[in-house]
Amino acid sequence: MNDQEYWNPVLETLPKEKLKILQFKKFKRILTWAYTRSKFHRALYDKAGLTPDDIRTFEDIKKIPKVEKSMMRGIQNKDPFPYGDALCVPLEEVSTFRQTSGTTGQPVYQPDTWQDWEWWSECWSFILWAQGYRPSDRVFLPFGYNIFVAFWAGHYAAEKLGCEVVPGGVLDTQSRILKIQELKATAMMATPTYVLNMADVAKNKMGIDPAALSINKITCAGEPGAGIPSTKKRIQEAWGAKVFDHSGATEIGAWSYECRKQPCGMHVNEAMFLVEIEDPVTGEIIEEPGRKGKMVITALDRIAQPCIRFDSKDIIEWDSESCSCGRTFRLIRGGVLGRADDITKVKGVLISPAAIEEVVRSITGLGDEFEVIVDKQGDADRIKLKVELLPEVVRGSVETILKDQLRLKTNLGYQIEFYDYGTLPRYEVKAKRFKDLRKKEIAKKECRL
Amino acid sequence: MKTIQDLEKLNDHILKIKELIIALEAMDPLFPALSRNSKRALASIKMLELNISDIITLDLEGS
Repeated sequence: MNDQEYWNPVLETLPKEKLKILQFKKFKRILTWAYTRSKFHRALYDKAGLTPDDIRTFEDIKKIPKVEKSMMRGIQNKDPFPYGDALCVPLEEVSTFRQTSGTTGQPVYQPDTWQDWEWWSECWSFILWAQGYRPSDRVFLPFGYNIFVAFWAGHYAAEKLGCEVVPGGVLDTQSRILKIQELKATAMMATPTYVLNMADVAKNKMGIDPAALSINKITCAGEPGAGIPSTKKRIQEAWGAKVFDHSGATEIGAWSYECRKQPCGMHVNEAMFLVEIEDPVTGEIIEEPGRKGKMVITALDRIAQPCIRFDSKDIIEWDSESCSCGRTFRLIRGGVLGRADDITKVKGVLISPAAIEEVVRSITGLGDEFEVIVDKQGDADRIKLKVELLPEVVRGSVETILKDQLRLKTNLGYQIEFYDYGTLPRYEVKAKRFKDLRKKEIAKKECRL
Repeated sequence: MKTIQDLEKLNDHILKIKELIIALEAMDPLFPALSRNSKRALASIKMLELNISDIITLDLEGS
């Protein structure tokens, strides 16, 4: 019973050419919807000299101007308050408010109608079903239920699937672990950072082996960790559970997921989203596998505040392989590889924080936490890495391996600082482990001038 | 259920339910429990449309 692999056996196995036709028709539908109902979208497309009628083929889609988060910030806090001119429904039809986390600047408000909210949990239903969630599961959600979308839609999707949902909202970490133990929860959703933090607290503060608890699958989101092999391995070993990656965003929706086959990448839900990969230099749309670029994404069915050709700044690449699960939804290799915002040049070398994470978490003598600080020493860039040494581990051997691996994987030399286990900051939601102080230093100098 | 005929049959049922709920919603605007629950039901029916009807009504044979 309920052994069906797919949430929607038709859409998830639709031949690629039909999927493309479906995406094109839906793109035209949401474009027309936005053009006729949102002053913001109409002005954007008018300025480009385009109407929905000008989009006649799939290839025409790339003519539509992209939307950036900064544009949304510019139109909000105005009438219809607080959403401004991108709102496509009467204000009284908005049933849910959320906002972005503000990691990259002022938060963006996100209105949703009840239909949008149903759509959010529908997208999550594809994810959870693909990851093996079934009605027999008891799902524990250890996150703060608040203005951030986080795992809210995961909660409702799990209910829709028929799972029993335990909302572990305003509980501290130890209480959450005890509740998982008490109720024999079988599944959990949280950020990779927090899942590791929970395992650490269970093991080192409570004397509970998380692998001995009943959790058999964990869905991670909010950070790239579950797509970073060494981080995923740490979580799986700590909890004795399968760990699945998923990616979504407040202003986009839940657009990708890893399935039970764990193909070292994520499926894009191409029935609900149109994902394009853009070359960051030329702006060309990348179709072939193996070339990294920036994701430009359209949520094909979101109506209150449409997401049309949104420049997400996520770095992804198409996989050349199809998945043995049988889904025709394309795979992005390695999940979300990083953010264009985070990739920065240090000493002339492009570096992604995810590459450092992969190295640190692959070394067994190091703790889960680390911190990267980039600053200036005179005119030269300096990159400092703070790590924690596990108790009873000898520093010398670890230091050599760490330096060698960092040099090999990131082409940079680091100033490494070792700390006692448990002394670096712990995070409950998204971690802030990468600090680039160079911009602040330049700003300070400019102020003095 | 995977053939186009099967999907058309499902779609027929979806359209019938939708029509009934739309009628129900409009029947008495001074009866909030009727109109608001009907509106919520329509949002759920929309998910059936996204999963099934779109495959039929968006005519995937032609671009």
